[in-house]
Amino acid sequence: MQQGGNKDEAFSLKTRIKRLKRDSNKWSVFTLAIVFFLALPIIFIGVELFAGPGETWGHIVEYLLPDYIWNSFYLVFFCSILVLVFGVSSAWFVSRFDFMFRKQMEWLSILPLAIPSYIVGYAYAGIFDYGGSMDLLFRQLGLEFIRIDIMNRAGLAFVLSISLFPYVYVSARAFFLNQANNLLEASKMLGVSEVKTFFKLMLPLARPAIVAGLVLVLMEVLNDYGAAKYYGVNTFTTGIFRSWFSLEEPQTAVYLSALLIIIIFALILFEKWQVRKIKFTSSKTSSTQIQRRETKGSTHWLIFSVVFLPILLGFVLPVAQLIYWAVLTASTVFDLEFIIISLQSFAIAITSAIITVFFALLLIYFSKWSTLSAIKNISRIGVLGYAIPGAVIAIGIMIPTLALDKWLIKMLGNFGIDSGLIINGTLIALLYAYAVRFLAVAYNPIDSTALKVDNSIPDSSKVLGVGNLKTFFKIEFPLIKTGVFSAVILVFIDVMKELPLTLVLKPYHIDTLAVKAFEYASDEMVMEASIPSLFIIFTAMIPVIFLNKLLIKK
Amino acid sequence: MLTINSLSKSFDKGKNYAIENVTFNLKAGQVCAIVGESGSGKTTLVRLIAGLERPDHGSITMEGKVIASLSKFVQPEKRKIGLVFQEYALFPHLTILENVLYGISKVKDKKNRAQEMLDLVGLSDLGKRYPHQLSGGQQQRVALARALAPEPSLLILDEPFSNLDTMLRTQLRNEVFDIIKKTEVTVLFVTHDTQDALSVADEILILQNGKVIQKDVAANLYVNPNTLYVASLFGSTVHINKNLQNAFRCPLKETCCHAIRNEKIKVSPSSVDSDCEYLTAAQVIKKIELGDSIQLLLKLESGEQLTVMTQDKNIADTIYIGFNSKDILEFDQEH
Amino acid sequence: MKTILAVAIFSLLVACGNENKKTDNTEGQEANKDQVVNVYTHRHYEPDQNIFKMFEEKTGIKVKVINASADELIQKMKMEGKQSPADVLITVDAGRLSRAKDEGLLQSIDSELLENSIPSHLQDIDNQWFGLTKRARIIAYAKDRVNPEDLSTYEDLVNKKWKGKILVRSSSNIYNQSLMASIIANNGEAAAKSWAEGIVANLARSPKGSDRDQVKAVVAGEGDLAIVNSYYIGKMLNSPDAEEVKTAQKIGLFFPNQEDRGTHINVSGAGVAKYAPNKENAILFIEYLISEEAQQVFTDANYEYPILESVSPVEDIRAWGDFKEDNLGLNKLGEYNKKAVLIFDAAGWK
Repeated sequence: MQQGGNKDEAFSLKTRIKRLKRDSNKWSVFTLAIVFFLALPIIFIGVELFAGPGETWGHIVEYLLPDYIWNSFYLVFFCSILVLVFGVSSAWFVSRFDFMFRKQMEWLSILPLAIPSYIVGYAYAGIFDYGGSMDLLFRQLGLEFIRIDIMNRAGLAFVLSISLFPYVYVSARAFFLNQANNLLEASKMLGVSEVKTFFKLMLPLARPAIVAGLVLVLMEVLNDYGAAKYYGVNTFTTGIFRSWFSLEEPQTAVYLSALLIIIIFALILFEKWQVRKIKFTSSKTSSTQIQRRETKGSTHWLIFSVVFLPILLGFVLPVAQLIYWAVLTASTVFDLEFIIISLQSFAIAITSAIITVFFALLLIYFSKWSTLSAIKNISRIGVLGYAIPGAVIAIGIMIPTLALDKWLIKMLGNFGIDSGLIINGTLIALLYAYAVRFLAVAYNPIDSTALKVDNSIPDSSKVLGVGNLKTFFKIEFPLIKTGVFSAVILVFIDVMKELPLTLVLKPYHIDTLAVKAFEYASDEMVMEASIPSLFIIFTAMIPVIFLNKLLIKK
Repeated sequence: MLTINSLSKSFDKGKNYAIENVTFNLKAGQVCAIVGESGSGKTTLVRLIAGLERPDHGSITMEGKVIASLSKFVQPEKRKIGLVFQEYALFPHLTILENVLYGISKVKDKKNRAQEMLDLVGLSDLGKRYPHQLSGGQQQRVALARALAPEPSLLILDEPFSNLDTMLRTQLRNEVFDIIKKTEVTVLFVTHDTQDALSVADEILILQNGKVIQKDVAANLYVNPNTLYVASLFGSTVHINKNLQNAFRCPLKETCCHAIRNEKIKVSPSSVDSDCEYLTAAQVIKKIELGDSIQLLLKLESGEQLTVMTQDKNIADTIYIGFNSKDILEFDQEH
Repeated sequence: MKTILAVAIFSLLVACGNENKKTDNTEGQEANKDQVVNVYTHRHYEPDQNIFKMFEEKTGIKVKVINASADELIQKMKMEGKQSPADVLITVDAGRLSRAKDEGLLQSIDSELLENSIPSHLQDIDNQWFGLTKRARIIAYAKDRVNPEDLSTYEDLVNKKWKGKILVRSSSNIYNQSLMASIIANNGEAAAKSWAEGIVANLARSPKGSDRDQVKAVVAGEGDLAIVNSYYIGKMLNSPDAEEVKTAQKIGLFFPNQEDRGTHINVSGAGVAKYAPNKENAILFIEYLISEEAQQVFTDANYEYPILESVSPVEDIRAWGDFKEDNLGLNKLGEYNKKAVLIFDAAGWK
């Protein structure tokens, strides 16, 4: 009888409240504070929703929405296929087989990430244009050029896929390199063929890793503005800009953003569901690295070409086109200012990368230390920023920070200090916005490495009398270092490429390469945009190569 | 020194309980073993005691102070409990010496203390190595040294030998407990292996489905098990069900459950030779020679099969088996 | 750890570098009595930088620039409110200027120079904004396939004879929106709608790319006519890419509606911000932008039509000859902009 009493009592409301009181610690409070800080722009956008849509909402639903939805789904579908084909095949071949220039291609395959996708879009338009590079080349060879029209929906799907596939490549390869060997050997011992091993064993096992990369790609696809606009494909993001600016109805834009966020939410939930279903691969790291197989003859060339093709399409061709343009325009465009702008971009990108990673670490570990299970779920709200178009975040940031600024001006005014805007128009607002926008980029690699550290490791530190913070610095940080570095680099690259946020929030006298490139490109001076674009690529390339070293060392 | 009072923990908001209404206490200097199958809640129980989980109900008191209850929770790092994990959980990026040094804070000469601990576990020369360079047994001893280094008042060993092979296991178990005896620390020792528990524990606590079935000294558990499950943990036992009662013609109380240990079943060539109160004939189906004794698989007239042991090498095809009423174990209900 | 340290130190150094640069700037400003003008501009043209430099040299007033699209700049000014540091807003179309005016972001200024030099239909009635340069929305045609005598007006482009022949960029482009606004202002909403539908029916392909891409598509044979902005043709004719120059040379230009209201023109213009902290400098700045030397740079380097009659356009566009402009008050472009977008959507003009 007493047992029954205990059971009923243990989960009665009264006991629950008592436990809530016991288990709320400072970490819970800190986590909530950080989530609030990061979600603030999103909350302000959400509040706008209650104002109702603008009067053109009906107009949009009637004439445009079906097109937005259809195009967005088209892009999601075809980009998924292309990105999976490019990313997974490259990842598997470079991890499993040995072939010519394998080492070089291993990091070259990450490089397409260094080029903003709208630049790739411009470059491809330039390649296939009338009077473009292909046209010239064919004429040189005395051939009739059959013009390929790349500026359409299919072309856009291709351009986005070829510039974003490295997200899938990186996560799939990390899985193949570090976790697959035991199983691979087991499969070999059972006499299963290479092809069957891949499709029956490796592919299903790598699915959570692949899907994680794919979700990042799809968020980028849905958020793309530059390339979609240029290629004349109407998507949610172009629609947001149209209703906000052309129709002068920010509320309608917010409604479209909300719809977009719902779609992205669905994608995230899909990923969660996937990973939950296949949880068994999450934490075990194989003690030995995968053994590479030598290849010969036609297999060798086939594998070589499969790996080289995405590099050719995603990096070599667009960069060649940009270099060609750069040579044409160097005399008018290039000056020493570019070096300074490059340094500024670099400094901004690295600073915001460190800040963003810092927030991601706080979010991950504070929510872990807070013992309320609900906090962990709430903390995921902090990563939503990635799902929201940069321009919308910019507005979400400006509403609260301007209110704060105005309050500060008033307060300081009481003391006779004329402070001006303290947050807006300074680096603070910009760095804040980057942190909100790119938290997910930092969160994912750190979270997945943190999962590989068995709980008993920090637990035993705690039992030995060492508190959470010290345990983190002495034990956990050294063990998740690679994840943290990867996160820094990924955020760095994203910030280097970021445009809409930077345009709205950047301070006077600070320019970034992306802004510079956009200034030219937006005025149809695509050729002149090539030099800043190349600077972006080269600045972003350095950490990409570094990232690769990290992944291999692991 | 440790009192646990109606402790409960559920991981799914009360649908299932990993630990349910557990109450017991532990005297200082004692070695207490917690025995149970996997999934019985052993690990949850020690994690609750160590402060790595928070109870949904009940309280834990250590050395007179409440360390966990509905209103109070002392962080694991403040509990002065040593814990050796099943997978050792050595810090892979620190050397052996650094691992052992890690938890020492109050002692003045930390290095000396750490070296002392390494000497104690017999790994004096390996301080500069990294965990992955050691064998499983050595890692085990490092984990022990690390847990003992901060001088905990309670040491918990969570299935410390389950990752080792049988030969090493017995040897290491004895070594480890020799070391522990020297430190006079109170020990809570979790295992699924009764041999482990019997050989080192002063008291044994049996856990089944998150509940404490029995807690007693080893000898009592053998003689006076609370349930058939406890009985069978400490030696093979035959449940005397209705069919067997009929076969042996021993009517027993219907409200209770009865059993007899295999070694109490006596084998005799004829019904006359036996001094048993209850007796029945049985056919030998199979004989297995196990060194100095023989295992017999028998079939009774009623069709029941059972296994008995005998020293007698000359066994006929039909024999008589029987037992005495004083050897019958009686339990309240069937488990 | 070492790498993190190295990176952190490096970025600190760079940040300090920026810091130093800032102090340098302040010193420079002190020499010029702290005079600045903060410019929010949508014009991301290289020649503008030269004009700003010329202004700095001449007046000692430092020009600080924020470059972004006019839409974003207007949003930014709206949010910044009274604290906005903006003195001058420059856009590349009149529509956005009049929207900024409607949002209460600009102020009326007294400048006889501006009022008298700029034609009245190219400035705001309340003196809140002023045109700086002009661009015409014209028809580029394939010389080999189109007889210019068949061309007449924008309205005529819906004629069945152009079925599958017309190339134009997306309706999200402001120049198209302004053209449509001018058609609504001149012909009324219903006529404008059927015009948009007629154009869509005659399109050679779904709208995409830039104005330059429309020209290339004409030469490539995808269509015969393209509706484009005059100054892009000027730029193509002077492109560093020899192929683009050749392409531009292959097309003919036609200025529509010469027999009636005139060709649709738009201006790039400027206004003084409502809460401009440096109002005097802002006026000086805008006045400088319509000085003859600044106007000469606009036309010479950017191939725009100068707003001053006294400045002659650059050779390349002078060669296209004089044309009759639509004298529609450009305030109307802002007024009908939203309506224009709604009509585009309803007509299926992507």
